[in-house]
Amino acid sequence: MDLLESLQLGLATALTMENLLYCLLGVSVGMIVGVLPGIGHLAAVSLLMPLTFHVPATAALVMLAGIYYGAQYGGSIASILLNLPGTASSAVICLDGYPMSQKGRAGAALMITTIASFVGSCFAIIVLILMAPPLAQLALSFHSADYFSMMVLGLVAAGSISQGRPLIGLASVVLGLLIGLVGIDVNSGAMRMTFGIPELFDGVSIIVIAMALFGVSEVISSIGKTGDGANKTRVTFRSLLPTRKEWRESGWPILRGSGVGTAVGILPGTGGGSMASFMAYAVEKRISSKPETFGKGAVAGIAAPEGANNAAAQSSFIPTLTLGIPGDAIMALMLGALMIHGIAPGPRVVTENPELFWGLVVSFLIGNLILLILNIPLIKVWVKILQIPYRLLFPIIILLICAGVYSLDRSVMDVLLVAGFAGIGYLLIKLGFEAAPLLLGFILGPMLEENLRRSMLLSRGDFMVFLERPISAAFLFLAALLLLWVIWGSFKPRRSTTENN
Amino acid sequence: MNVLTSKDFLAGLVCVLIGSLVLVVASDYSFGTPRRMGPGFFPITLGTLLLLLGAGVVLSSLRTHEKLPPLNLRPWLVIPAAIIAFAWLLPRFGFAPAGLAVVVLAGLADRNANKLALLLLACVLVPAIWGLFALVLGVPIPFLIWS
Repeated sequence: MDLLESLQLGLATALTMENLLYCLLGVSVGMIVGVLPGIGHLAAVSLLMPLTFHVPATAALVMLAGIYYGAQYGGSIASILLNLPGTASSAVICLDGYPMSQKGRAGAALMITTIASFVGSCFAIIVLILMAPPLAQLALSFHSADYFSMMVLGLVAAGSISQGRPLIGLASVVLGLLIGLVGIDVNSGAMRMTFGIPELFDGVSIIVIAMALFGVSEVISSIGKTGDGANKTRVTFRSLLPTRKEWRESGWPILRGSGVGTAVGILPGTGGGSMASFMAYAVEKRISSKPETFGKGAVAGIAAPEGANNAAAQSSFIPTLTLGIPGDAIMALMLGALMIHGIAPGPRVVTENPELFWGLVVSFLIGNLILLILNIPLIKVWVKILQIPYRLLFPIIILLICAGVYSLDRSVMDVLLVAGFAGIGYLLIKLGFEAAPLLLGFILGPMLEENLRRSMLLSRGDFMVFLERPISAAFLFLAALLLLWVIWGSFKPRRSTTENN
Repeated sequence: MNVLTSKDFLAGLVCVLIGSLVLVVASDYSFGTPRRMGPGFFPITLGTLLLLLGAGVVLSSLRTHEKLPPLNLRPWLVIPAAIIAFAWLLPRFGFAPAGLAVVVLAGLADRNANKLALLLLACVLVPAIWGLFALVLGVPIPFLIWS
């Protein structure tokens, strides 16, 4: 199938009434949770995952993906107006967005970030369209050993590129892998880690883990901490229009940000676009002729990161859909949704489920167009939503979680597991453990073990197989390099503090 | 500084404890050979890895001195309790009482909760969400169970 035919198929799939509706629903929900601080896109995607049980796979993914990239649009609104990031990836927008808002340019800042979001997304979608089919073709030649090593690299990256404590990040990954073991071992039929509880024989559902860690734990730590909509900024339609100077200053940064974001989004372990937006900001500041304006309302300081985080949100689908390897927690949830619908993630998705793959890709374009159109006229609505007090919001979230989890299997045990995992998870997060690498480990665990066993069976028990195959060896080499770099990095600052003492 | 308030020390300790627990539980599963791995191979490897990582974190905690951040104690106790109440009430009395309980109880996790507002919120929300799941999505959840 050539590209044009594929896109036609995608267009036909994405333009069905059902898929359009779910796309609209997804991006609107994404936009709202993006605007609201204290509820992130991870929580929103986990919250709505139970709903997707009842719709076809394509519609489900169209909606879940819409929540994700919709939230990237909404995230910058709270950053600009309240100096509070709506999502983690828009934290960097606060640096220059809030100063712009204080100077009375909030409207222009919102307009520029919307356009930057759109350009960044489109840039990454084009890369996705061009790169995905050949990459999937290449991945078809991968053996189980290559897959094993690729997952090891992904997990090491997810654990170590975290907020400063690589050892605990890696421990989070291992914890996730262990939770993934719970249930019947498919190879031997032995029960593992079920402690004799029959409800655990089939393992723990990804929705239970995601709701507990991203929904309930998040609520527990946000209660009493999230300000109750003290926003008085007025945004008039006239103030939305950027001046000619502002247009000029945002053009190139948007494009550079899109490029940086697309590249970073493809890499494993780069987590939800925050890495992309920070890198784009750093690049922009370095090459700017007036770096001293950054942090005081520089237009480039909002344009580049906003282009970058949206580009990363789209390009992170490249490894997820073509290799079946999720780069971060949100992509792990997407894979989870695929598996729930009985579709095995991997390079075959592109060829065996073309209407799903191409329909999803075209729905990205449609969704971004909807967001572009929705964002500006509804700006007053978004500002209003910012005023919903959190103390009324979180009981709704908890009720939705309870009802959603119960609706999966009508199992009371699942609801109790959410309460348990949330309580333990909150403590672990307080201790520095991280939820995102844990979820990634949980999703990849069974695949990792399966590929390990298969390659060892094929190699007759010879561990050298992982180094003899060049692709596998390259992945393992990268993983080792990353580990060394991280360990070296974690000792360096410590040395300097002891010197100071 | 007291090690019991050191964030990294406690985190490492948790890893060591969970790792050991996994090793104890997994010692019942057959380990197998590298060629034909038993169900115990993977858990024992992971348990050992966690144990080692935990030991590394404990060792490094001797040099860092970050204190454990204060817990958000009230929500940490109240929210899971609200969810457990939902799980207990739902199969016995139906969705309406369970939903009402979870909204009001969870809402009390905030110190400045307005009980009347929560009740009103629940009266609107509970039927709406029940309608979404039971009527729109067709999940058979009873709204109210008599007797």
